[in-house]
Amino acid sequence: MNIEARTERSINSAVEDNMAEGARRLKTTIEGMRFEDYKAPLFVAWQINSECNLGCLHCCEEAGHSMPDEMNKEEVFDFLQQIVNLNIPYVAFSGGEPLLHPHFFEMCEFLRGNNVSLKVETNGEFVNERVAEKLAKLRFRSVQISLDGATDKTHEKLRLRGDWDKAVAACRHLVKNGVNTEIVFVPTKFNIHETGALIDLAYSLGVYGVYTGKMMRIGRAAKNWDMLCPSDVEYEKFFAVLKEKIDLYRGKMKVYYYPYDVVEELKYRLESPSASVLVLPNGKVKLIGPLPFICGDLKKQSLALVWEAYKKAWRNPDVIKFAKKVIADPKLLAESNTWKQV
Amino acid sequence: MNFTEHVKIRNEKFGTVIFETLSEKIFITNETGARILELIGQGRDLPQIVDELREGYLGDQKIEKDTTDFVNCLKENNFIYRKVGNDNEYRSSHGKIN
Repeated sequence: MNIEARTERSINSAVEDNMAEGARRLKTTIEGMRFEDYKAPLFVAWQINSECNLGCLHCCEEAGHSMPDEMNKEEVFDFLQQIVNLNIPYVAFSGGEPLLHPHFFEMCEFLRGNNVSLKVETNGEFVNERVAEKLAKLRFRSVQISLDGATDKTHEKLRLRGDWDKAVAACRHLVKNGVNTEIVFVPTKFNIHETGALIDLAYSLGVYGVYTGKMMRIGRAAKNWDMLCPSDVEYEKFFAVLKEKIDLYRGKMKVYYYPYDVVEELKYRLESPSASVLVLPNGKVKLIGPLPFICGDLKKQSLALVWEAYKKAWRNPDVIKFAKKVIADPKLLAESNTWKQV
Repeated sequence: MNFTEHVKIRNEKFGTVIFETLSEKIFITNETGARILELIGQGRDLPQIVDELREGYLGDQKIEKDTTDFVNCLKENNFIYRKVGNDNEYRSSHGKIN
């Protein structure tokens, strides 16, 4: 008898290398075989709305106001049903601010009721005690709170109109109610000096983990790049602090990071696209965050059809050519939200 | 034994995918592995699984070792837990006894 139990090389690397554990997350995750071999995505990253109460300088989605053509309730639930029918195991809701979506809880209940693993990425400002209790009942894979500083001043400098106290309180409410809570920290020139203090704060809050990595040069982050991007020296210190904190909190709290910047990610993805799709609030499906290409429209097409289009799009010469141009000239990443149909 | 909370399983043409969504780790296994997963899903323990598989693999001396190795690999990666005491007590994906 021969029982095969294969993991990808990168999965093994992540297991063996604690520094990178979880860090290569999407890379390790969403692949196993060639992505073309999968009958459906393994992961759906869904920006369920564009509305946001904040105006973060580094927002990849350039969120703020709702898009005029966002999916309506019927379209949303039709898509949710397709996720279930295709046996997609894992979905992440982001926004905008997902808790501002009028059907947020119904959508979560639908997926969790069908045993789909669900992660929610939120700024935490609408997570009070009552909301935390509701979230706890849904038993998410995790709720991720964006916390971009160990102090209110630093956090709010980057997250315009943000309220650090509310984000910290959200962590407390979630932890108290037994929700698997993660803090996401994006290093910039403004806050990178507080990395260590932020991780210590996270531990004092009792969260499950802190997740970080280099700022993605997409959307508003790309537009504000020169103002926000840490220097090589700052990044060097940042990774040294991470290493120290990983050692300090080993076995107590997960500290993990994605080690690649967006250009490195793109290089990798050209060779090995992931078995995942990125869905925008209006139902359009993006090939990947850093590229402007749209490979389908869930308002008009089934997810199964879009998945086939996604596979073909990664082999499209125009996509490959443009991706190589972006790799050579990362300033083009500022165009990532100016969509182009493949 | 049974699966930890965040484990999802899906059959594909090339094999069976086991996806632990908390760690975001994936395993891909063949038909025999898929049968073991099915038995784990039914709450069977290791000796029961080995017994069951022996019937289909008569004369295969390696069956016990292969199955044990496979199950240990799943345990090490926190894909499965062994029930302790009553059914409500288990090793969660957080690595703590709840």
